[in-house]
Amino acid sequence: MTATAQHRGLALVVHPSLERATALHNACVEAGMRTVVARDLPTALLMLSQHVFDAAIVSATISEHADGWSLAAVFRMIFPGAFVAVLAPERSLEALKNAINSGADQIFECETTDDEIARAAAARLVKAASGSVQ
Amino acid sequence: MKPPGAINGSRSLLIVDDEPSVTLTLKLIFEREGYSVVAAYSCAEALMLFANGHRYDAVITDLNMERDDIGLEVVRSAQTLDPRPVIVICTGYANVENATQALELRVDYLATKPVDLEELIGALRRLISRRAAARGSK
Repeated sequence: MTATAQHRGLALVVHPSLERATALHNACVEAGMRTVVARDLPTALLMLSQHVFDAAIVSATISEHADGWSLAAVFRMIFPGAFVAVLAPERSLEALKNAINSGADQIFECETTDDEIARAAAARLVKAASGSVQ
Repeated sequence: MKPPGAINGSRSLLIVDDEPSVTLTLKLIFEREGYSVVAAYSCAEALMLFANGHRYDAVITDLNMERDDIGLEVVRSAQTLDPRPVIVICTGYANVENATQALELRVDYLATKPVDLEELIGALRRLISRRAAARGSK
């Protein structure tokens, strides 16, 4: 059994598009993670109160422009050791500043493939489980 | 025994900026907020303080001093300290390249000049409290 499969980290996937959320869920499962999927902010916040997450993959915009960054910041506060990735339209200075100030670990541009995002999250979970990441 | 830099139990802060007017202004503001503040006017001076065993709850550094983006050296060095301080970059010259490096280096906060002081003060207070709480829970 691989380290990824052994760990089976739980990831919160938040994206307003059903198609993208489903694709991210499938990619995460393929990469050995379990997921909880939310398509709006209230559901995401409710899920934060009901699960212990190892990772979050969040769209920078959920209901309103840039509200995903706020969710990322809340997620970071609740789960300080978790991996937080945000999907942003572009890797601009504003996006990078938002990422740093909300405590996100990584930005992915929206056109990044779901597999690439899921693999990056899974890799971080495996590293964290083996103690090589804070 | 308190590490050098932490005075009388107040929160200690190192401000690194080669512009004396900026350093002095931030020093006065944060002293008014109750911090004990030390100023360094170059990356080299900051690294010397770290090498001499001085430790701080937080480090606020400019990016462009002896050369462009040398503030990232302050960040790299501060990352290795134990306990690791809260690290803030305060710059008028942020760009995609240096902000990407800051994200990869896990900088805690990026403030762009002109700085929103209330926001910076609030962010620093929040980050230091959170760091202290995390240490306390270990």
